Amino acid sequence: MRESDGSGDKMLSGGGPGAPAAFRSPLRPRDTADVADAVRDAAALGVPLRIRGAGHWLDAGRPVPASACVLDVSALRGITEYNPGDLTLTAGAGTTLAEIDEATRANGQWLPLDPAGATTATLGATLATASCGPLASALGLPRDLALGLEFVDGRGIVVRGGGRVVKNVAGFDLVRLTVGAWGTLGVITEATVRLRARPEAECTMALDAPRETGTLALLLRALREAPLTPIATELVDATFRAGNGDRGSDAVLVRLAGNAASVAAQRRHVESLGTARELPASAWDRLAAADPDGAFTVRISHRPSRVADLWHAIATATAEIEGAVRHASIERGVVRLIVPATAHEVVAPLVRCLASHASVLGERLPRAAWEALPAVTDRLSRGVRAAFDPHQILNPGLLAPMA
Amino acid sequence: MSHDALGAALAAIVGERQVLVRPSELLVYATDGLPGYRKQPGIAVFPRTRDELVQVVRLLAREGVPFVPRGAGTGLSGGALADGSVLLGLNRLTRVLSVDAENRLAVVEPGVVNVHLTRAVAPYGLHYAPDPSSQAACTIGGNVAENAGGPHCLKYGVTLNHVVALTVILPDGDIVTLGSADGERDGYDLVGCFVGSEGCFGVALDATVRLTRNPQAVRTLLADFTSMDAAARATSAIIAAGIVPAALEMMDQATIRAVEASIYAAGYPTDAAAVLLMELDGLEAGIDVDVEKLRTICLDGGARAVRIARDEGERTRLWQGRKKAFGAMGRISSHLVVQDAVIPRTRLPEVLRLIAQIGAAERLSVCNVFHAGDGNLHPNIPYNANDPDESARVHRAMRAIMRACVDAGGSVTGEHGIGLDKIDYMPRIFSPESLDAMCRLRAVFDPARRANPGKVVPVRSCREWTQAPATR
Repeated sequence: MRESDGSGDKMLSGGGPGAPAAFRSPLRPRDTADVADAVRDAAALGVPLRIRGAGHWLDAGRPVPASACVLDVSALRGITEYNPGDLTLTAGAGTTLAEIDEATRANGQWLPLDPAGATTATLGATLATASCGPLASALGLPRDLALGLEFVDGRGIVVRGGGRVVKNVAGFDLVRLTVGAWGTLGVITEATVRLRARPEAECTMALDAPRETGTLALLLRALREAPLTPIATELVDATFRAGNGDRGSDAVLVRLAGNAASVAAQRRHVESLGTARELPASAWDRLAAADPDGAFTVRISHRPSRVADLWHAIATATAEIEGAVRHASIERGVVRLIVPATAHEVVAPLVRCLASHASVLGERLPRAAWEALPAVTDRLSRGVRAAFDPHQILNPGLLAPMA
Repeated sequence: MSHDALGAALAAIVGERQVLVRPSELLVYATDGLPGYRKQPGIAVFPRTRDELVQVVRLLAREGVPFVPRGAGTGLSGGALADGSVLLGLNRLTRVLSVDAENRLAVVEPGVVNVHLTRAVAPYGLHYAPDPSSQAACTIGGNVAENAGGPHCLKYGVTLNHVVALTVILPDGDIVTLGSADGERDGYDLVGCFVGSEGCFGVALDATVRLTRNPQAVRTLLADFTSMDAAARATSAIIAAGIVPAALEMMDQATIRAVEASIYAAGYPTDAAAVLLMELDGLEAGIDVDVEKLRTICLDGGARAVRIARDEGERTRLWQGRKKAFGAMGRISSHLVVQDAVIPRTRLPEVLRLIAQIGAAERLSVCNVFHAGDGNLHPNIPYNANDPDESARVHRAMRAIMRACVDAGGSVTGEHGIGLDKIDYMPRIFSPESLDAMCRLRAVFDPARRANPGKVVPVRSCREWTQAPATR
């Protein structure tokens, strides 16, 4: 997940001093029934809950009430069903991405969710926050990979949406509703996900990217239209490269995949587009670990054709910030900006400035910067929140509007 | 408002020729693609512009009149049937509003026919990937409502994976924008909720959909097997080997013979127990390595022969036979139930055997033509709906088949929707609490339950649970 300890460390010890006795220390349910009991009790007493997976990025800096009690679901852990022939896997919400990776690797499969941060992130939190990384544009967003979910809604009722098969249109879609809802509609307790076969062969190329915006736009367009089937195409800046002992300009990292003959041909094509050289696959792990401790991150997005413009605008806006890093999923049109913790004072004005160019989404921000982003207040979102968490006890302050 | 007054008020918006009020004119709208049900609407109205559509929905809202949105009426779950209420025909809103070729996006009105969109964007080397068999007739609006699939969804994903944003008129007349094509937005995935909501959440005024690049290379293969079991096992072996075909379809002998006896004859071997129609696409480089791998898996799995289409003509013929298989079955009988269910792919051999046994026990012939790669079954039964005994046997067989699929860990629909036909199966796969959660979600979009009433979730599921939960 994109959880972190952000600013609310005090709350890790449980509800505030005003909370009822049972909610003064973190709740650690062992199974779904425990979660349902805990939520039901909290709803009856009006105690807000903060749902915790691995606890990496617990509130992302958003204002969460001090009275919130931690509901730690990390004990709901383990793979409950995995049939390689079906390419599906069911696991408890507290199962880590690393565990899933290990279990599926033996069969040449993977769950291609590669959010920034450690692989000790949990499945539940990754889905709840809809976190993903460079692989998402080719292999699926969390919404595309989640097949079924079990969750406990804000009244303590256990709900199951979707199923365990790869295609399913039975009933209204409670899975899409819950993925990306940041736990505000329900506590995810178990999930079934679609796996993919790992590519037979792959190869990562770093293609030098020009500094000038117009030329960069042409290169990105050429890449998007080229006879390539990459599983990731990520523009990274020189600061990121320098931090990895890789001196040079901005570059596009292209992760080519397929069978050996296909990868070889694709590699030749990338080389024909400019100065390119092969990087070890570990370049992707380093990219996932590009966020230093306590760093602030936002995603700035628009149509893919606008990436070069955004890239330039963000570079200009962050020129004075030492250690700021940008990387962009060019096929999704998303630029991710990482600002070191030391620059916290400039983040709010920066976010305001960026929001005038494009859609800006906070991952982790100082409190003041959250206020610079528009709140979600539309009628349907408010209605959904009221329908699934009528007492507004689930992660209040995160994402969802208060009715 | 009386029937006549409502008809007149609608005619004032859309013109008299766009409103049908007489029972004789409405007969044709009493069925959709699913036989066995007749529900005649009280009025049918066909707005031609977005503005007319908005006015119609607002008039219905003011008058508190229930309505059923309908695209081309090719649905196979009875989802577009209106029992005495207003049928809202959207098939005259047929404009492709814009194409952004560089970003591979198109904005379309709900009545755009699926294949027309693909034709409209062909000059850019793009296509719209979800390709239901009815794609020559069905509309994007209907596809969005049903979260439609199709053979190539195995690799490219179903409708949900291709819808980026929607402008929706809610049943009360409010217009809302869901999702965005101009960057990610914070908030709930309301596009994901709307896609597949079967007309119960409102009406899409337009949809922004993702377009897909045409592949550089395509190879179409036909493998012929002497048993269904072997074909089913080969399917599992292909998926397990990590090959992702663009499509992997199975047809059994009954289907093959129906196709070969029709004008859509594709050259399928009529003595085969089953064939697999497979397609690989992607880059020219390396594709034949995968073709060879596929061929080897099939031959090792007992295929008598694997044929590779030599040219576009042969490719088109092989696919036409598959896509028109339902039509070809029209020669066999007066009616055809096209069923839809999903099972885990590894359970294909045993469930196909069970289905054959169920058919035999009810003295019915079951024709299987389906998306094997997804485990998405279509056991179809040709019959005569005017024969009460045969109809009763068909219904018993269908119930038994659904039970077998659910018992195997599957779902009662993979792409056709619940509609009217499958509503009774919902409590088999969802708990009362989960059904109530669906009712609550629906109530956010349509608290009065006027949009496509009586579909998807049994009303009793809502009644039973709306009061109780808070105190449980």
